[in-house]
Amino acid sequence: MTNAERVQEFVEAFGSLKGEVGKVIVGYEEVVTDVLVGLFAGGHVLLEGVPGLGKTLLVKTLAAGLELSFSRIQFTPDLMPADIIGTNIILEDPEGRRHFQFQKGPIFGHILLSDEVNRATPKTQSALLEGMQEGSVTVSGISHPLPSPFFVLATQNPIEMEGTYPLPEAQLDRFLFKLRVTYPALEELNEIIDRTTRARETEVRRVMTGPEVLRFRELVREVPIAAHVRELASFIVMATHPQWEHAPEVTRRFVRYGSSPRGAQALVLGGKVRALAQGRYNVSVEDLKGVARAALRHRIILNFEGEAEGVDVDSLIGDVLERAEAMSRKGKEVFLR
Amino acid sequence: MADADVLERLVAQVGWQIRRRRAEFYGLRGLFYGAIVGLVPLLLKSAVGPAAPLIALGVALLGAAAGALRGLTLPIPAADAARLADRTFGLQDRVATALEWGSRPDRSPLVDLLVADLTARLQDLDGRGVVRRRWPRELRLLLLPAVLMVLLALAPPIPFPAGRLPVFSSSDDAETPEERGAKVLTDERPKAAKRAPLQHAEMERNLSARGGATGGSQPGDLAALFKDTALAAQRPDFQSFLKKGDERLRMLEQVDRLPDLKRDFTQSQYKMIFQRRKELFGGLRPDQISPQKLRELLEEMQRMGRKGGDWGGDIGEGMEGLESGQTDRAMEAMERALSKMRAMEERGRDGRGLRGGREEGRRGGRGADRGGSGSDMDADFGEGEGLLPGKGRNPNPKGDPTERLRGNPFDAGVEGEARSGRKEGYDTNLLGKGTNVPSRLQYMGVFGQYRKMMEEAMAREQVPRDYQSQVKEYFESLEERR
Repeated sequence: MTNAERVQEFVEAFGSLKGEVGKVIVGYEEVVTDVLVGLFAGGHVLLEGVPGLGKTLLVKTLAAGLELSFSRIQFTPDLMPADIIGTNIILEDPEGRRHFQFQKGPIFGHILLSDEVNRATPKTQSALLEGMQEGSVTVSGISHPLPSPFFVLATQNPIEMEGTYPLPEAQLDRFLFKLRVTYPALEELNEIIDRTTRARETEVRRVMTGPEVLRFRELVREVPIAAHVRELASFIVMATHPQWEHAPEVTRRFVRYGSSPRGAQALVLGGKVRALAQGRYNVSVEDLKGVARAALRHRIILNFEGEAEGVDVDSLIGDVLERAEAMSRKGKEVFLR
Repeated sequence: MADADVLERLVAQVGWQIRRRRAEFYGLRGLFYGAIVGLVPLLLKSAVGPAAPLIALGVALLGAAAGALRGLTLPIPAADAARLADRTFGLQDRVATALEWGSRPDRSPLVDLLVADLTARLQDLDGRGVVRRRWPRELRLLLLPAVLMVLLALAPPIPFPAGRLPVFSSSDDAETPEERGAKVLTDERPKAAKRAPLQHAEMERNLSARGGATGGSQPGDLAALFKDTALAAQRPDFQSFLKKGDERLRMLEQVDRLPDLKRDFTQSQYKMIFQRRKELFGGLRPDQISPQKLRELLEEMQRMGRKGGDWGGDIGEGMEGLESGQTDRAMEAMERALSKMRAMEERGRDGRGLRGGREEGRRGGRGADRGGSGSDMDADFGEGEGLLPGKGRNPNPKGDPTERLRGNPFDAGVEGEARSGRKEGYDTNLLGKGTNVPSRLQYMGVFGQYRKMMEEAMAREQVPRDYQSQVKEYFESLEERR
């Protein structure tokens, strides 16, 4: 298969998977695209939205479109780490000898839906950490690799914060994207009603296998990026830090901590998937800007003033992008240099 | 690598366009500054001659050419040209990426696809209008020097003033006839010099009129107003002012007569005198001490002694010693007087202020009961005596402080023991050796303080209920006694 065919295959697979999800999920085109970008970039995605907007349905539909195992964990306050990763149980063989055997937990699936992840205790949340970051879990000193591809889709509810344990910054940073699921428009709502209240349910075809996902992930990493685009990603991340000398005023005023280098990695990887999905062979500035909000909104921690003023992180990222672009172009005006 | 050639051609084409636009830009800017410089030969047309307009035009064109040359020769990074092409054609950074990655050894297979894709796109594009034309800011002002150049070229030459700077040489022999001729042009100065003596004479006349000198007053002469007054006969005597000033300066020289601003008048007389003595004697032998200053110190001590001090005799002896030139004798007398002064001051601070009038009387009575213990100043109990626990004549080892206050319902102070000598602070009731130190705390203060401590301890510590009631009853009994 030639490279051109590989790219073409990816573009078609991306489009068909998006189409399968679109059969069930009405609207949310950008959210679905970003979820797929997260899948092919090799990251994990956090979905945030009020109840009833179809977050769980989106993940289930995506899993249905992929020939991959799917696990779902409903996070509750009494959920224990062993409930996620599994535990050693005593088994008796035919000869009557007893021995311990590791019983795998629901984390051992290709696609893991962590529903309402902020309802579990930090101890249980952290049990998910190793799996997300390392692709393996350790029980009784023995490391068990997770199946590949391993894709965590977590959902959380921004309201009803009583009795919840907000994810710490370290854990948030492990998500490639944080996507906001907003309320649907009127036409989309009508379509949702039509689709969900009729007798026949929509069937979702399996359009992609696990090895294909892995192959596409490798292809994505081959997409070249120009130096000035890479530099822009660095400028964007640096502009989220209030200590940076060129940081915009909003950052200085409202931000306590800026993005980590993982934010820049998420920008570039997301940009690569986005470019390839559009049939392009290079990352452009527009690709970075397209994924900037999803990649950075959970990595920017507002200070007290920002929280008190109700600063919207997405609009703050808009200012950050403007400043970063200005910084990227500064001194590179080709005409009069 | 035909694709790479296409890419390089595009970048070169864009680069050439950039050079052309730069040449235009900098050429116009150079024309502006050249035109400004070209005004100079036109202004000096009389000196330069008829070739001035041609020279001015040449200078302006030279500026334009220099600017254009600069625009052509400025370096153009290929990456920047590629970015410009990307922006102009909307190629989404394809050109810059392909240019950068096309020559890299670690390029991925997708780079070839990128270059091929870019080449296909470039074939459909017209690369002529990649770089837009820009105009320099100076272009708006270019008309001004141009018009000036035309006007100056058409106008007759501007005449320049002839002549030279004056020669300040003192020798008139060195002057040439031409210089003398030029000097006639500047003949104003001698006239001004002649007018000055006239003004001086007029001033003299006016002054003499103010001074009462005879002479008719002129209309408008202000001196005439003072002619018949007493002031009119007086001339200002600046010498007298200077003399008085001298006297003041002499006074300032007498440092000893100046008040000592450093002296702290809030401190005691004894300390004040002690400090002055220390300053006077500091490390000197008796024969080195100034008798005058010693006399002043003795006189001051004498003044203080008149207000109730008993060191008048010592001061008199010291004065005599000074009169007879015996400085050491005067010093000894002064030391004695100083000791007496200190003793008086200590008597004033022996704790009497703590005792109320009634208690003072009561203390005198008790002292009498005990057979007295000397003078009124030493009416305090001696060391180890009194009603302190385990000491003195009281057989009760625990003491009986409340009983002593029974006759005095007012809290004038616990009857304690005043030590002889200086007492800088208060002492509390102590046990063991500390019992030698008498109490000087206010009873109410002590009782309130201990009651507060008790309440805090009750709240903080886990004290059994029975003990709590005992402690409470104890403090209540103390309160009843009071």
